[in-house]
Amino acid sequence: MMELQLGLALCGNSAKGYNLDDFKIGSFEILDVQDENNVQVLQTLPLLVWDKDDADGHNESQRKDGDENGMVGWPPVNALRKKLCHQSRHRPYGGVMNYVTVKNGGVGGGGRGSNCYKYVKVKMEGIGIARKIDLSSFQSYGTLTDTLISMFGKSRENGDVYKLTYQDKEGDWLLAGDVPWRTFVGSVQRLKLIRDEDY
Amino acid sequence: MSTLAPHFRTVMVNTLPLEVLEHIFSSITTDKDRNSISLVSKTWNEAERCCRKNVFIGNCYAVSPSILIRRFPDIRSVNIKGKPHFADFDLVPEGWGAYFYPWVVTMATAYPFLEEIRLKRMVVCDESLELISKSFKNFKVLVLQSCEGFTTDGLAAIAANCRNLRELDLGESEVEDLSGHWLSHFPDSCTSLVSLNIACLASEVSFSALERLVARSPHLRTLRLNRAVSIEKLPKLLRHASQLVEFGTGSYSADTQADVSEVFVNVSQAFSGCNKLKGLSGFWEAAPAYFPTIYPVHSKLTSLNLSYATVEIPDLGKLISHCHNLQRLWVLDYVEDSGLEEIANSCKELQELRVFPSDPFAPGPNVSLTEQGLVAVSVGCPKLQSVLYFCRQMTNDALVTIARNRPYMIRFRLCIIEPQTPDYSTLEPLDTGFGAIVQHCKELRRLSLSGLLTDRVFEYIGVHAKKLEMLSLAFAGDSDLGLHYVLSGCESLRKLEIRDCPFGDEALLANAAKLETMRSLWMSNCSVSFEACKLLAQKLPGLNVEVIDERGHPDTRPESCPVEKLYVYRTVSGRRFDTPGFVWIIDEDPSSTPYSNGNRSLASA
Repeated sequence: MMELQLGLALCGNSAKGYNLDDFKIGSFEILDVQDENNVQVLQTLPLLVWDKDDADGHNESQRKDGDENGMVGWPPVNALRKKLCHQSRHRPYGGVMNYVTVKNGGVGGGGRGSNCYKYVKVKMEGIGIARKIDLSSFQSYGTLTDTLISMFGKSRENGDVYKLTYQDKEGDWLLAGDVPWRTFVGSVQRLKLIRDEDY
Repeated sequence: MSTLAPHFRTVMVNTLPLEVLEHIFSSITTDKDRNSISLVSKTWNEAERCCRKNVFIGNCYAVSPSILIRRFPDIRSVNIKGKPHFADFDLVPEGWGAYFYPWVVTMATAYPFLEEIRLKRMVVCDESLELISKSFKNFKVLVLQSCEGFTTDGLAAIAANCRNLRELDLGESEVEDLSGHWLSHFPDSCTSLVSLNIACLASEVSFSALERLVARSPHLRTLRLNRAVSIEKLPKLLRHASQLVEFGTGSYSADTQADVSEVFVNVSQAFSGCNKLKGLSGFWEAAPAYFPTIYPVHSKLTSLNLSYATVEIPDLGKLISHCHNLQRLWVLDYVEDSGLEEIANSCKELQELRVFPSDPFAPGPNVSLTEQGLVAVSVGCPKLQSVLYFCRQMTNDALVTIARNRPYMIRFRLCIIEPQTPDYSTLEPLDTGFGAIVQHCKELRRLSLSGLLTDRVFEYIGVHAKKLEMLSLAFAGDSDLGLHYVLSGCESLRKLEIRDCPFGDEALLANAAKLETMRSLWMSNCSVSFEACKLLAQKLPGLNVEVIDERGHPDTRPESCPVEKLYVYRTVSGRRFDTPGFVWIIDEDPSSTPYSNGNRSLASA
């Protein structure tokens, strides 16, 4: 039986300009840890990292699209399936608006409304860290903006007034509120709160 | 050979004329047997190579086009695989390789009678397709599974020039859709089509051209439409193709303007006319109201693929359970545990089950599908031998139950969506469960692991999984010992793919020779140092050691630094010269530059 004693460690900084920060998600240091049940437990750095850089969108190009939790290629579903998953989510309530649901009392299609997610990133001007919210849990612009303002810890009483803008499917940034709520939910890709200078 | 009657043994086999040997060999068709025959003697090798008609190349870089044509002078059918499997999940960067062009250029002159080309995960350009259509007068079969790099213009060339085309199957390829008119390039004289699969195409093909093509193809057995064909159009097509055995619908929802009941009746009637229908697929955006249209055929179905039906269908399980003869089922997790239980009670012929995630990126479960569903099917379906199952929770007990009930399992791929998830009832690793799988399922050929796993599971695998040919690992194990168990124990291992596991130099170098008995090894985000890669290449000149690293030149980092990705495969054609800037192939000669990018690139893709 081969006994392997290993002391693997992340590479230290070296003269050739190598930087620890270059390590992508997935590199980790391994410690042998015994828990109470005397089972060897692998301790790793968190595999999912939400870093500030990403909030500014700088690392977007490094991510493959569809990997919403930041891990490339996981879960192992192919591109076709990832696209389908996106498409079924971005249609409001699963997209069965046009179907006649004959005997099923409107249950058909994406049927479990509460589980039809639409996560979009939200940034507020002046705040480095972006957030993510599930648009499917809102019913109107009012509830959305109220929640957003409180989420970022600022309120109208502070004197700052914010406008809600969004990026649509074509990549254009628009002011939210002009189109019906459902149309908005169907086309929004990300949100940004910007200070309203007119106030 | 051992079944030859005793008196044959007195014949000196080597005195038989080559033509006689060739005639005998022509009845031996599997690659394995052919390969065995060719090793018996020089005479047999000579006879075998002259009459070999089909060749399968599992790794396009294991051999070269020139070696192929030198050995086999008269090939009629090639089957070539390119990129490693993890390319399906975006782990192989774009531009890595697997170009088909060099192959077709060589075969165009060497094999004028080539009839069949089947490719998987290769980059195929329009020029290649044009060359196929012009070089092989008797070309019959083109299958492009998970390929990319071509457009509908290339397809137009195939349609226009391949007079005897029988099969055009685009698999799940990425095709640049320039125009739907390519289909109109099939001449009116083309009546030989047996199989047409265009399901992966995004845009609309000319429906009238499609209808006419189907109408003049009396031998058509397989037809898979793309999403752009809506349900109201199906009756028109099916009327001309009532002899179909396999049918893939397009989008299974109609225009808002359509009269639902009329569409319903027309489609049901069209299906009732298809007496030979055994397999159904497609069903994009399947509206629940239209689902009962398949009732006329569902009891005859042996294969059903609902994995693109992204709309939840009520009582999905109940619907499927009417398909008593089902052997193969692909479905989304909308089927839930309750649905699988119904299927387990009714579909006793089920051999293969694949349950895909409807929402793989949801933060938590969006459907009620757990380990229970898989246990139910394993217990209820006596012929179950192939499983692919995505879920969010698992227990060791469930796996043990599955293993005990299905000892003839051949393929078992479990994906617990959150990495390193333990047994949810005991919080222990899933070592015992998977250990039971390999212990009881002695015929297991393919295994994918997930969940919380220590080195112990690899010990079980090394000891028991003697017939295992392909193993996929992610976020598993504690140390090099895990990798060592697998490499030293799994005698039949051909393909090993690993991501994000703490495996490194020691196990790899200690088992280096094993790699020459395998097709390939993939390791990404592990702990293999560049230094070890160089040692491996030096030790084993019969391997190509490819370091794939998008961080730049390996020399800009210490030698002990882990490489991003490592792809090692055996080859008889030496290093390749079509590598992109982020791939370094380590030459075995330490006196030359220790590694190099390819500077020469073979002809464009």
